[in-house]
Amino acid sequence: MDTNIDFKNIWKQQTSNKPNLEELLGKLKKFKNENLRKIIIMNVLLIATSIGIAFIWYQFQPQLMTTKAGIILVILAMVIFLLVYNKMFMIFYTIDNTQSNSQYLQSLYSVKNKQKFIQTTMLNIYFIMLFLGICLYMYEYTLQMTSFYALLAYTLMIVWIGFNWFYVRPKTIKKQEAKLNGLINKFEEINNQLQDL
Amino acid sequence: MVFEEIYELYWQKIFRLCMGYVNDTDSAQDLAQETFIIVWQQLPKFRNESSVGTWIFRIASNNCLRQIEKEKRFAKADLPINLEEKKQESLEPQIQLLYQFISELPETDRIIISLELEEVKQAEIAHIIGLSESNIRVKIHRIKEKLTQKFKENGY
Repeated sequence: MDTNIDFKNIWKQQTSNKPNLEELLGKLKKFKNENLRKIIIMNVLLIATSIGIAFIWYQFQPQLMTTKAGIILVILAMVIFLLVYNKMFMIFYTIDNTQSNSQYLQSLYSVKNKQKFIQTTMLNIYFIMLFLGICLYMYEYTLQMTSFYALLAYTLMIVWIGFNWFYVRPKTIKKQEAKLNGLINKFEEINNQLQDL
Repeated sequence: MVFEEIYELYWQKIFRLCMGYVNDTDSAQDLAQETFIIVWQQLPKFRNESSVGTWIFRIASNNCLRQIEKEKRFAKADLPINLEEKKQESLEPQIQLLYQFISELPETDRIIISLELEEVKQAEIAHIIGLSESNIRVKIHRIKEKLTQKFKENGY
């Protein structure tokens, strides 16, 4: 039995058809587009909603301060959400992939941790501003209702807010965290492989 | 250096590195293509601070390390089971075994041994991975022992 197996020779025998250059560059386009599409859709949706809300202000000319403050809060919530979302996207794509493996793993690790913090904090701020904004906005219109309907409107509103805050929000956070924690642990584990000798 | 030359010179090397990492022809092809897409994008920024080889191998190995992010999206369990069987029957069993054994090593060991087998100098491997040369030497020695052991267990 040969004790010195020529690994290098075996290794070199593995080859693969090289895709032609046009095919590769075609993929480049698709790759870029896919990444951009998601962020563009998100931006367009939230900007359109903000414009829609601003249009309500223009069209119906609210009288009370509370209504105006409500509208501003809701739009601000969306603007902040967009800014943070876009920034997170940028951080992600600016990790220098020409660093050494050990530096790269550390960058991935810290970016993922940052992402976890931002996502959770962001989601809380977004929900609070949105709810507060809606409650303020409603005030002017409930004044014109009988107290029964005004109470009903606010009760329904609070139930909806409660559902979002106590069910949708924790569920979303949990899902995001589970995914990120998995990655963070894995990157840490790989990085530890380099530490022990 | 022109992209076309780099592509010509490094395609097989990068493919083998990815193949050692995942031991799956399709995924390795994808990883290698992604690597060259990044190389294409970053080439204007390349400043000759390190050799082109080190630079490209860093991009390729980092891209492999990032693989797990994508893995999460398509859980392996979702794939049809018989996929395993049809892959490259034409290859010699020795080659298949080597790549299989390498892909079973811890992630960073896969990269280290792949670079060693690609005849990258150990000083350069140290530079790519971010460890000292002596650490790399020790690791390569251990990995080779492990691989030899596994080959013996399989009757070679």
